[in-house]
Amino acid sequence: MLWRKLMRDVLENKAAYLACLVVISIGLMVYTSLNLTADNLWQAKENFYREYGFPDGFATVQGISDAEIRRLTALPGVARMEGRIVQDVRVIFPGREESAFLRLVTVGLSQETQISKVKHLAGLPLDPHRPGVWVDSQFLAANELEIGGEIPVIIGGRKVFLEIRGQAQSPEYVYPMRTAQDLFPDPRSFGIAYLPLPVMRSLAGESVQFNQLIFQLEPAFSYQDVESLLEPRLERFGLVALYPAKDQVSNFILNQELSSTEATANVMPLLFLAVGAVILYILLKRIIEQQRGQIGTLRSFGYGSREIQAHYLSYPLIIGLAGGLLGSLSGLWLSFPMTAMYQAFFHLPELRGRVTFDYVLFALLLSVGFALLAGYFGSRQAMRLSPAEAMRPPAPLSGRHIQLERWNWFWHSLTVQGKMATRNLFRHRQRSLFTFVGIMFCFSMIAVTGYFNNIISVMIFEQMTKVQTHDIKINFAAPLAAESARRELLNLPGIKRVEVMLEAPATLKHGWRERDTVIIGLGRDAELFNLFDQDGRRVLPPEGGLILSSQLAEALEAKEGTIITLESALLRGDTVSLPVHSIIPQYMGINAYMDKDALNRVLRQGELATSALLVAEEEALPLITEKYREASQVATLENRQQLLDNFNEMMATYGFTVWILAVFAFITGFAVIYSFSIVALAERKRELASLRVLGMTTGEVSQILTFEQWLLALAAILAGIPFTIYLIGQMAQAMGSDLFTLPLIFEPNSFIIAFVGTACFILLAQWTLLRQIQRFSLVEALKERD
Amino acid sequence: MTRGSWERKGETVEVILTGRKLCKWYQLGEVRVQALRDVDIEIFQGELVVVLGPSGSGKSTLLNMLGGMDKVSSGELFYRQQPLHGMNEKGLTRYRREAVGFIFQFYNLMPNLTAWENVHLSTEIAAKPLSAKEVLIDVGLGERLEHFPAQLSGGEQQRVAVARAVAKNPEFLLCDEPTGALDFETGIQVLKLLRKFSREHKRTVVLITHNAGIADMADRVFYMRDGRLDRTRNNENPLAPEEVSW
Ligand SMILES: Nc1ncnc2c1ncn2[C@@H]1O[C@H](COP(=O)(O)OP(=O)(O)OP(=O)(O)O)[C@@H](O)[C@H]1O
Ligand SMILES: [Mg+2]
Repeated sequence: MLWRKLMRDVLENKAAYLACLVVISIGLMVYTSLNLTADNLWQAKENFYREYGFPDGFATVQGISDAEIRRLTALPGVARMEGRIVQDVRVIFPGREESAFLRLVTVGLSQETQISKVKHLAGLPLDPHRPGVWVDSQFLAANELEIGGEIPVIIGGRKVFLEIRGQAQSPEYVYPMRTAQDLFPDPRSFGIAYLPLPVMRSLAGESVQFNQLIFQLEPAFSYQDVESLLEPRLERFGLVALYPAKDQVSNFILNQELSSTEATANVMPLLFLAVGAVILYILLKRIIEQQRGQIGTLRSFGYGSREIQAHYLSYPLIIGLAGGLLGSLSGLWLSFPMTAMYQAFFHLPELRGRVTFDYVLFALLLSVGFALLAGYFGSRQAMRLSPAEAMRPPAPLSGRHIQLERWNWFWHSLTVQGKMATRNLFRHRQRSLFTFVGIMFCFSMIAVTGYFNNIISVMIFEQMTKVQTHDIKINFAAPLAAESARRELLNLPGIKRVEVMLEAPATLKHGWRERDTVIIGLGRDAELFNLFDQDGRRVLPPEGGLILSSQLAEALEAKEGTIITLESALLRGDTVSLPVHSIIPQYMGINAYMDKDALNRVLRQGELATSALLVAEEEALPLITEKYREASQVATLENRQQLLDNFNEMMATYGFTVWILAVFAFITGFAVIYSFSIVALAERKRELASLRVLGMTTGEVSQILTFEQWLLALAAILAGIPFTIYLIGQMAQAMGSDLFTLPLIFEPNSFIIAFVGTACFILLAQWTLLRQIQRFSLVEALKERD
Repeated sequence: MTRGSWERKGETVEVILTGRKLCKWYQLGEVRVQALRDVDIEIFQGELVVVLGPSGSGKSTLLNMLGGMDKVSSGELFYRQQPLHGMNEKGLTRYRREAVGFIFQFYNLMPNLTAWENVHLSTEIAAKPLSAKEVLIDVGLGERLEHFPAQLSGGEQQRVAVARAVAKNPEFLLCDEPTGALDFETGIQVLKLLRKFSREHKRTVVLITHNAGIADMADRVFYMRDGRLDRTRNNENPLAPEEVSW
């Protein structure tokens, strides 16, 4: 029979319970879907790596022979080692302007014995006597190519047509990016092609040596053990890079995505569950207060306090179960499209959605746990009442004078309703506190969204109009003599300005801290690449020192004047020490800057340049692009527009997540305000009805409730501003990477958006409240005895 | 010690409740409110006791003690041979469940359960309950089983409350101003039901009232003043409920 009472009680307050249910469901939906998606991703990765193998370590060298590799394999700790030729070649798509590249990777013909195998997805096997390749499916799809077709590429200055024999996927290129500096994969402009070694040699020249080594470790050895043995021995083969599996670009990004998804999956839901639990707690406390007399009656005819507590615990239990089921099942459903979304980014052959109920079960336990916790604390106090006590109406809440009344100017400016409302705030401290925190949280979430929207334009604007003002950047395939390169470019028609730069990859060390980066050498007269200090003043790289981006300085724990040691493949084993001249804030890139001439002197290789920045007449741009696209000295050609597009696209993916958060915040804020208002309304029905009888209009009566909320909201919004700044600081730290830094710039409009959003959900909640006030009948409200 | 039985009007009647020097005080911060002072009391099987006294004299407090709704502060209280003082909450709950039926001034029905559901709620936990439906028919509400309290008049609600207490088939009924919120006619109806229950089942009824008139239908009348049992009066010839007036 108590079950019927329960169901009817819940139905009576359905709106408030529904709000709570929605919040809990959202939390568990996020929990289940993200965890399942992360699991699917992890499972697919594990399976693919296990089945096809993933090397423990990688080395890039200028060239090494088979015999040398065999000698290195004998080193202690190295179980197996293989050499391959990896070469990026330019693809010539007729009539297309942007450059596209294909990375040719040699594979053994009998794949069985290889450390890292390639999964052959479709088409014919490779043939050592024909210039045919397997290509990754995404590149084929993005460029509308088919098996049996041909890809025109430039190898060693010659145009060659590669036959597409099939599709394949390697565990090493699950997330194919050309360089670590790219922001995300672009299958239209970069693909992987696998081909047999003899074919590679016949295309690129018989003398071409292996330039990539992959190796497997003996079980008892760590990468570090082997690294220290390999590094000196590889030096004479022109060691460019030596890194473990975890630093391999595709693997690194895949793992990073996995761990960030898992983190979100476990933290976000807790927030929602906490909010849901608070709402439940308040609702339950309220209903128990209201049903005090009923509790006393039940006790009088012999229900024990445990039975009654169990009865009241079944309210949150039902909400918890319902929310858990709803949330986790919808999360299960949502994990399919989300997994599909990941399929577009990570090319794992077996990445697909699965129906498993582990997380559904966890989610249920989680929500029931939270709900019961809320229920326990919500019902605990009332259960301690002795039955005789419960029969008596609760001691009326004392109308006390509050501290605020001391502020005369404030107090006297209030209407009677205002005074009632203000005293009420202090009467229900706990509820006021929860409302305060709820509004603050929601305000901040919306403000964070506003910030992200803003910051995209701020960053692009900064980068494009102040830092990099060129139209085209040309990266040379190999360092060129600076002056002759500049002069040649200057002779092009329509060119207005040419600046050459020297970009040298290097490892910067400070104590045990080290960081791989690119040192950019800028000319004295550089205008197309500008550096600004904290206060927005232009700075020029000094003669004998480094300028570090703040992100890099932080990573190295370097301050102005700190001596940094440089190591670079270009230095051939030497190291150079230089002081930090200044540290500048930078949004994109984690770089060090030097004077170009000074950098050239350090490298002792003459006046070299690795890239050039150009400004040209608008009409001349396509011509220049056309001319240099196929030039063998040019590695890549970037134009501004492309950079901008890339950047926009990346920020959009972040923006999307953040928008979802904002929508959730809005719903949560509404749920908090709404359910608390309903509680307040029910509690004061009589009080408010008496005021109506005295002749107040519904508007005047509702003012008491709304004034209370606005007062709290105002305080919460004020507190929300520093909270937002703190949140953004935390998020910027979590999201910032080597590629970009999120600047902490606060434009007032993100706060204005948040203010409007907060006001909106408060108004929406109050509007529903007003309708309720208009509906309740005075007679009933006054007759009701609770 | 308690006496198990008592000679009365020539027949042996059992004593079901015995109180010795019952005290109850409430600590309100610094102040101690003494609600009961040294009350000695005996209540017999099958009698109808009316408790009279001015407001605040401790009538409700006494009833709550007798019904195990609250613990005594000092003194001894026995239900038959069983000590209630010092009994833990669990024991008191069992006592209320098995022995006591309560009726209150403001009915205290569960507002969102129907008449029948309200009665059924109490029979669910009783050891040897009567049929909820039959009891409701008995109190004249056979037609209103599916009505919610808000759809019933005050008198009807109180009759549901009586049915609820009676259907448990308790040893005795404790009624705190059951007619307090009712008009004369309706009040009489309720009193008739109580009298009938007491006579038919040989059950005890303890009834608090402010109406001295109702006392005329009692076997015995207790007068309370200032937390003390001031005096008792025996009615040799109790009136029928319809004969009393106030
Ligand atoms: N829970 C409590 N806390 C404090 N004082 C109490 C409590 N319950 C009763 N009292 C006090 O004990 C005294 C007796 O109260 P009680 O309710 O028994 O009176 P009563 O005779 O039933 O009065 P009425 O006829 O008005 O119902 C009163 O002074 C009352 O204020
Ligand atoms: Mg009383």
